[in-house]
Amino acid sequence: MLTLLEIAERTQTGEKIEDKKWDKMFYENITRLVKKYGIIVPSEHRFINMDDDLAERAFQAALEFLETTGIYCLTTRRRVALTREEILTAIREAPAEILMGDGRDRRVWKQRKIEGREKLNVCPGHHTPFSEDLAGLVVHNFAQIPRTDFIEGFNFTHIEGREIMGPPMEVYASRRQVNWMREGVRKAGRPGLAIVYYPINTRAEDLIGVMDPENGLRRTDGILLSLLPDLKMEQDMLSAAIVYEEYGSFKLSGSFAIIGGFCGGIDGAIIEGIAKPIAAMIAYRDYINYTGVEHVHMLNGRQILVPHVNWARSVVNQALNRYSHTICMRWVIPTSGPGTDLCLWEGAMQAVEAPLNGMNLYAPRHCRTTMNHGQTPVEAEWMIEVSDAVIEQGLDREAGNELLGRIATQFENKQPCAGHDIGECYDLIHHQPRKEYAAIYHTVKKELREMGLKALS
Amino acid sequence: MDIKGIRTEDRALLDVLKSAIVALEEGEALGAAEKVVAAGIDAKLALRYAIAEAAAIVGAKFDCGEYFLPQLVISGDLMDAVSKILEKNIPQADVEKKKIIVIGTVQADVHSVGKNLVATMLKSGGFQVVDLGVDVASASFIEKAKDLNADMIALSSLLTTTMPYQREVIDDLASMGIRDRFKVLIGGGPVTEEYAGKIGADGYGRDAIDAVEVAKKLLAVE
Repeated sequence: MLTLLEIAERTQTGEKIEDKKWDKMFYENITRLVKKYGIIVPSEHRFINMDDDLAERAFQAALEFLETTGIYCLTTRRRVALTREEILTAIREAPAEILMGDGRDRRVWKQRKIEGREKLNVCPGHHTPFSEDLAGLVVHNFAQIPRTDFIEGFNFTHIEGREIMGPPMEVYASRRQVNWMREGVRKAGRPGLAIVYYPINTRAEDLIGVMDPENGLRRTDGILLSLLPDLKMEQDMLSAAIVYEEYGSFKLSGSFAIIGGFCGGIDGAIIEGIAKPIAAMIAYRDYINYTGVEHVHMLNGRQILVPHVNWARSVVNQALNRYSHTICMRWVIPTSGPGTDLCLWEGAMQAVEAPLNGMNLYAPRHCRTTMNHGQTPVEAEWMIEVSDAVIEQGLDREAGNELLGRIATQFENKQPCAGHDIGECYDLIHHQPRKEYAAIYHTVKKELREMGLKALS
Repeated sequence: MDIKGIRTEDRALLDVLKSAIVALEEGEALGAAEKVVAAGIDAKLALRYAIAEAAAIVGAKFDCGEYFLPQLVISGDLMDAVSKILEKNIPQADVEKKKIIVIGTVQADVHSVGKNLVATMLKSGGFQVVDLGVDVASASFIEKAKDLNADMIALSSLLTTTMPYQREVIDDLASMGIRDRFKVLIGGGPVTEEYAGKIGADGYGRDAIDAVEVAKKLLAVE
């Protein structure tokens, strides 16, 4: 695989190109390849892709897209060009399993198989802001979920009563974030559990300043180094990738495509969705990716479901699982907030999809997350239950598709609802949902069982 | 003059122009614009009817998921080119001045998708938009807004920790004694209306569509 030093050099020597020209080229290349490879959204409304030939064509389109487009370095405004051989070598050499954590908390995070029968790996939470006063307690609660394989950090606005602003305070706050994480997992009796640093900011000093084998980010931990939409990278992130590659930490990336961005519609997003995790692997050595496609209207919380988005997500993940070693995760971003039935139904839908498309589960959180208003442990625990039931019941893609159709009826004529702060719907002291949320949970569970997921105990 | 008062053949020409913009047909749109000028149709009426209505249709197509960011960019560029043709017979003094909005993602934040959507939607909405890109320092926003005598500064932030840089721009404007010169609109994933009020912004855009409505309201644009 290309060395990170080679990538660094290309960010300094590659073709100079302005943002606007890149964006135009990005769209033109994707549009051309959508036509060339016949990436056509089916007229029939499906949630899970059954067309394996289409998944293969989409993968080939993504390869050609990467080969003809490359990666754009935002810092130097240069194009990092890649040859087909370099891309194929990277795909071949990437690992399909990552070791993380230490001692009895050591875990293997794996690439799943389509309709696989192994239980999914789980990151249950964070990647949403929590206030300083709740930080330790929140981590403790998420770390108590037995199936947790790693846990990610979070953002916050104040540290020790002061608003975080500027690099020195960011570095200080970054170090406190990982301290809280370490302390939280230790209190949960899982001192070796892998934690992942969630960048307070993307400056190199913030990213690197958390390294600390004692109380901070250990070699067995990880860091989120995401490639930006439209295949854009930054030198600060690359600097951190170089350091962490030598340190030994694993890296992960947010690698979904956004329908509505420069990739265009659903067809173009499928190509970007496949190309992006491969690019992230080459640029930053991100082997674990949250993958798929999202719609800008869903990310904004304007619409709960947009037709064909689930199907497109399915194509992307099936292609990545079949033709690469990409370790895919489903980042669940409900349009409704915690404490609501809609939030649990959205989680259920994606927990049904995940094992069928070959994805692990990653940190469900509200699309319009604000301070202490993004997630509770209930959503993650619920999704674990649902995905386990899908596997136990032996659902295949066709049966899963039918079940998803029934779940989708829950969203008809509904608008997303904001939900509640974590303290309002979850008892952090006793690690359980408050009465009202528990009742909602039991109702949704009963209804999902009645819809056909009988293995839900 | 009102659109209802014009000749049928002129109306047909304007419809061709409008449709060509909506269909993103550059050659056809530019050709139609030249024909509109040659036919002596009132340029201001043409701008109001063909461009403004085309912009509304493009916006609606984005809203319903038929058009995406690339189509918004292409249509915005096309509307600029058509406007230049239509305006060439209007004395410079009579050309309706567009409200100017300086937009960017605030310092230390490199996220661009939301900002790009808002910028292109604002442009489609009839504003002159100057996009400063990402990771833009407060001083750069203010300097550009002063240079252009802008009407509004629009600030995007996707990270919780970069939201204070939205406030910094407002505070800097105040400390320079020019806070009242510019309306300030803020938005971004973690940003809320409540936060906008707290830091003294004039408006908050929940998303790109909302941002255009708020900008129009703040700048009294029809």
